[in-house]
Amino acid sequence: MAESKAILDIAHGVPPVSVSQTSTRVNKTGSWKYIRPLYRDRVAPCNQGCPVGIDIEGYMNLLREGRVDEARDLVLRENPMPATTGRVCYHPCESSCNRASFDQPVAIHSVERMLGDMALGKPAAPALEKRAESVGVIGSGPAGLACAYHLARLGYSVTVYEAESEPGGVLRWGIPEYRLPKAILASEIGRIRDLGVTFRTNTHVGRDVTLAERGMHDAVFAATGVHQSRELGIPGESLTGVWRGLDLLRAVNAGERPQLGKRVVVIGGGNTAMDCARTALRLGAEVTVLYRRSRNEMPANHEEVEAALHEGARFSFLTMPVEVTGDPREADIDPLRAIEDTFGQFDRSSEDPRVSAVLCARMELGEPDASGRRAPRRVEHSEFRIACDTIVTALGEEADTDYLPAELHGGAIRVTALGETSRTALFAGGDLLEEPHTVAFALGSGKRAAIGIDHYLRMKAGEAGADVELGELKLGPDGNLSMTRWRADDPVARVNPVNEVVRVTDLNLSQFGHARRAEDVLRPAWETRHDFLEANLGLPREDAMAEARRCFNCAVCNGCEVCLIFCPDVSISRRDDGKFDIAYDYCKGCGLCAAECPRGAITMTREGL
Amino acid sequence: MKKVIVGNHAVSWGVALARTEVIAAYPITPQTQIVEELAEMCDDGRLAARFVKVESEHSAMAACIGASATGVRAFTATSSQGLLLMHELLHWAGLGRLPIVMADVNRAVAPGWNIWTDQNDTLAQRDTGWVQLYCENNQEVLDTTIQAFALAEKLSLPVMIVLDAFFLSHTSEPVDIPSPADVDAFLPPRNAALKLDTSDPHAFGALTTPAVYMEMRKRQQEAFDQVPEAYRLIDADWDRRFGRSWGAIESYRTEDADTVLVTSGTITSTSRYVINERRERGEKVGLVKIKMFRPFPTEPLRRALAGIPKVAVLDRNISPGHGGIFAEELRSALYDLPSSRRPRVDGYILGLGGRDVTPDVIGECLDATRGNQSSSSSREDLWVGVKP
Amino acid sequence: MTQIPLKEIMPHEEFLESGHLACPGCGASLSMRMVLKALGEKTVVALPACCWSIIAGPYPQSSLKLPLYHSAFETGASVASGIKAALLARGDTETTVVAWAGDGGTFDIGLQALSGAAERNEDILYVCYDNEAYMNTGIQRSSATPLGAWTTTTPGAHPEARPKKDILAILAAHRIPYAASATPAYPEDLLAKVRKAKATKGTRFLHLLAPCPPGWKTADDETIELARMAVRARIFPLLEIENGETWRITVDSPGDPIGPYLAKQGRFRHLKNEDIGAIQAQVDSRWKALQRRVAGS
Repeated sequence: MAESKAILDIAHGVPPVSVSQTSTRVNKTGSWKYIRPLYRDRVAPCNQGCPVGIDIEGYMNLLREGRVDEARDLVLRENPMPATTGRVCYHPCESSCNRASFDQPVAIHSVERMLGDMALGKPAAPALEKRAESVGVIGSGPAGLACAYHLARLGYSVTVYEAESEPGGVLRWGIPEYRLPKAILASEIGRIRDLGVTFRTNTHVGRDVTLAERGMHDAVFAATGVHQSRELGIPGESLTGVWRGLDLLRAVNAGERPQLGKRVVVIGGGNTAMDCARTALRLGAEVTVLYRRSRNEMPANHEEVEAALHEGARFSFLTMPVEVTGDPREADIDPLRAIEDTFGQFDRSSEDPRVSAVLCARMELGEPDASGRRAPRRVEHSEFRIACDTIVTALGEEADTDYLPAELHGGAIRVTALGETSRTALFAGGDLLEEPHTVAFALGSGKRAAIGIDHYLRMKAGEAGADVELGELKLGPDGNLSMTRWRADDPVARVNPVNEVVRVTDLNLSQFGHARRAEDVLRPAWETRHDFLEANLGLPREDAMAEARRCFNCAVCNGCEVCLIFCPDVSISRRDDGKFDIAYDYCKGCGLCAAECPRGAITMTREGL
Repeated sequence: MKKVIVGNHAVSWGVALARTEVIAAYPITPQTQIVEELAEMCDDGRLAARFVKVESEHSAMAACIGASATGVRAFTATSSQGLLLMHELLHWAGLGRLPIVMADVNRAVAPGWNIWTDQNDTLAQRDTGWVQLYCENNQEVLDTTIQAFALAEKLSLPVMIVLDAFFLSHTSEPVDIPSPADVDAFLPPRNAALKLDTSDPHAFGALTTPAVYMEMRKRQQEAFDQVPEAYRLIDADWDRRFGRSWGAIESYRTEDADTVLVTSGTITSTSRYVINERRERGEKVGLVKIKMFRPFPTEPLRRALAGIPKVAVLDRNISPGHGGIFAEELRSALYDLPSSRRPRVDGYILGLGGRDVTPDVIGECLDATRGNQSSSSSREDLWVGVKP
Repeated sequence: MTQIPLKEIMPHEEFLESGHLACPGCGASLSMRMVLKALGEKTVVALPACCWSIIAGPYPQSSLKLPLYHSAFETGASVASGIKAALLARGDTETTVVAWAGDGGTFDIGLQALSGAAERNEDILYVCYDNEAYMNTGIQRSSATPLGAWTTTTPGAHPEARPKKDILAILAAHRIPYAASATPAYPEDLLAKVRKAKATKGTRFLHLLAPCPPGWKTADDETIELARMAVRARIFPLLEIENGETWRITVDSPGDPIGPYLAKQGRFRHLKNEDIGAIQAQVDSRWKALQRRVAGS
């Protein structure tokens, strides 16, 4: 070592000892690499799995950062009614949640419900421009509402035609109050109305107005849903006391409290069946649900089945009704029943014999059928009788499409990826399509058609080309279209976005800690089965925020700095905007950033490509 | 202040007066008294140094390296095997240009075990980049210890002070001990500009490629080239302050001499006695004492010995396969004198492993050289007093 | 359990420069980077011969923004002792002196100096980054090389036949105030231990597992995952020992089977099922012994 620093002067030439005078930054070690990391935001599986096409990952990340209002606005970009979907959607997003492989999926629906409730009374962002064209929407169920909402936000004049006295379709008339309070729905429809959408209720298209009159609109969206319940096709079906499920739900949603008697049999295994069963329970009945396959094959949502069970519904699986009987002697067998008869509790028509029992046959499961479910086969000589006062059938519904052009009659309507039918300017959505008949799919189809109509009208006006790059609009290869992408105004800053979905194998799970999923607060079944008040109270705000923090934020860089922290070459730096720069002069391409990235937001790419 | 102290304690006093800041040492006979006394001094407050009681000489030198690189005055002492164990780190200190001062009490190397004096331990370190200063008496030991720090820090070179086992290390002599204030005036605290310093961080000793390694070696050589002049000035300063000087070499009664003994260490004192005796008998003999072995004081030796016909070098060391090391180095130094002025240099191997080098033994060597009429140097050194 | 995000616990200041000469994916460079973040700018590093002698850069470069002394192979602890003594001699009680050595410089050639320093309880932080062989010289076995591993000096049919030396137990036997194992795969644990070590007086020893892609024959991007697997499989338990007496496991090692860890590494490619069984048995027995020490302290 030297006693004088002068030895470091260049004039002295090489110093007497090996002493550093520069950093290693003079070595451009980045030249060693043959692969390089790239920040590439991909698509979270929940986003792809959401039939509405909500940027779930995006709002979860905003919530994690405490940006609650922005999270709420982000939901409203894609979903006109998050308070509704937060309650009634069966959340396929959670089924695709990567966290399911780690502990339990994030309770996305609870978080969305919180955001939806926070959005109640808050207006949606208004249209940026006013367009001259007018669009007619037939039907005000979720598909129609979504289409109207998005079109209004795109600047169009929208008129919604609704045959019923109030808008909402299945949301208003089908889903019971205890699942979706009318006030919540009304508030969310109010937000759509506030965008300038005109609602013409009590207007049945085809009867009160005809499709031919659509000349006053530049495009039409048909989303009248399905109303015609399928029939049992067995003797005795027309006896008094046999209800069509939708009719029962409609009556109760209209404020009626029909008397069903003590013993109610519900036939069917879908969600309508569960709604009917739980409604019947609330009307004071003992309920038995008949389903011809086993529990595993039930199409109804698991939570609904659980709720029905908790509230006291009984299930008779592998049971098929073969005849409805009105034999009054059946009633006489039960002394209690006889007493009730005496007090004239039943509205029994004088002519028709009232239903008194259903004759059933036992079934067994055979080979899988076309739907993939094991086909039920009737067991010979297995008939038995279930005594009952009311039968509710919930076997699915069919559409009434008489008001539409003849070529669209008969079965589900086929539409393009942008919701257009074979008729120019005529779009369709909701349960008219061959898609799962859920609120989420309906909302998604409405949005898709809104994009389609916007494209069609702009093309007609010479503002757009015929081609739409659908892949770029989809949230993942199999996801729904994104309105944000259509409008190209994503408030979430994305880095080199690519339309691949991040799978759990793309994540680095070791960067996460286990945390239990917060479960919705449920009122006790002994209480809920007696009233129509909301049964599921959702999550308290802090629990919902904790759920948002459980989110892995798959696929999109959230600035967690894991890449920066694990870079052996100190080549990653954080920018002021929260994103990262890679100093490729020094990055050796080891790939630790990509390997350790918790969320698969970094991709290694071949050098020189 | 005069005190009668052993050579080892003369080292300790020198180290204390130099206000050494870090001492790291490991015991070995016959050096141990040096560090025992230093431990006492640290304990009773005479010396405010950190004493690192390491587990080996290797670690002693390593700790000195660390300390010196951090900019403080560091010291250690050792002997023989301990010095050999340090060998790698002597290079480290040398090329690292760390002004460490070390005392080595010359002791023969094993096997078989031998605790008595000879110079093979230190001479085996001659190429490690250390200045080597051999001492003749306890006063010289004390003075040289303090001078060594001045020299080391002046040129960023480590300095080794060498004293003979027992003949000096354990022999009491009166020593004038300078006052601390006077020594402070001579030797200010070390002020290294370049050191391990968190406010001015540098890396020291990093990989040095062929492109620059040789330059650093040359800078080391240049520093060694400056040692004789630097030491002359330091010694003159010392002389001014304390009335004593030692010189890189010392010529003793060499005027008009036909034969001159060349010696180092305590053999010098015995040789002085022999020279005095012979001068009284009218023999034209003298003595040159080599204090500084590295760098080898070529120019002063040329000046001192040019024109003297015969030189007898007494080597208490042996480079197996070559001969006495002082003799060989001297022959090399005198080689390019004109032949008319170039002495004949005879080498004598004696006193190895602590064997006594008495006046008679020295007289024998002197006589042999004086009596030898050959005009050219013999390449074969003579082993003195060796049993068959 | 909600984790504190790493970015909130990892200091942002960098003391390692880009352009250093570590191989891609080097566990040793990442270890240094994290350790220095926890130590801060008042730190001096003594660096005996090891991979880091190269990583630090040739003259006239340095990849550290801290004072650094390159020293001889076996002198990490002794040079650090001298540096500390010098700082204290000049009244600096604040600066942390770190000896940063590889496994060769710690388990083998530097063990004597380390033992000496530890026994004297020198006020230094000795960090051994362990890549389980002499990697800088091209993968020769050291006493840190694990049972069954291939190296260039345990080639062919004769892989390493002896278990890895238990360096932590050796250090603990010196009754030093703090000894701990850590790895950059668990940064939170690593930082906590470095901070604890920094705040402790006397000899502190950190044993860091630093996977080495070229030496272990692994992919560059698996460094962290391998260290994580080693911890999870109880091959490299994360623990700390106070005063040689109080043994504590700081991160749970659930006991994943060692097979997948070995299978990822080319240096274990030759192992047969029975070899893996034998290694597993050894890992299990060491873990049991550790459990006893933890329970007994």
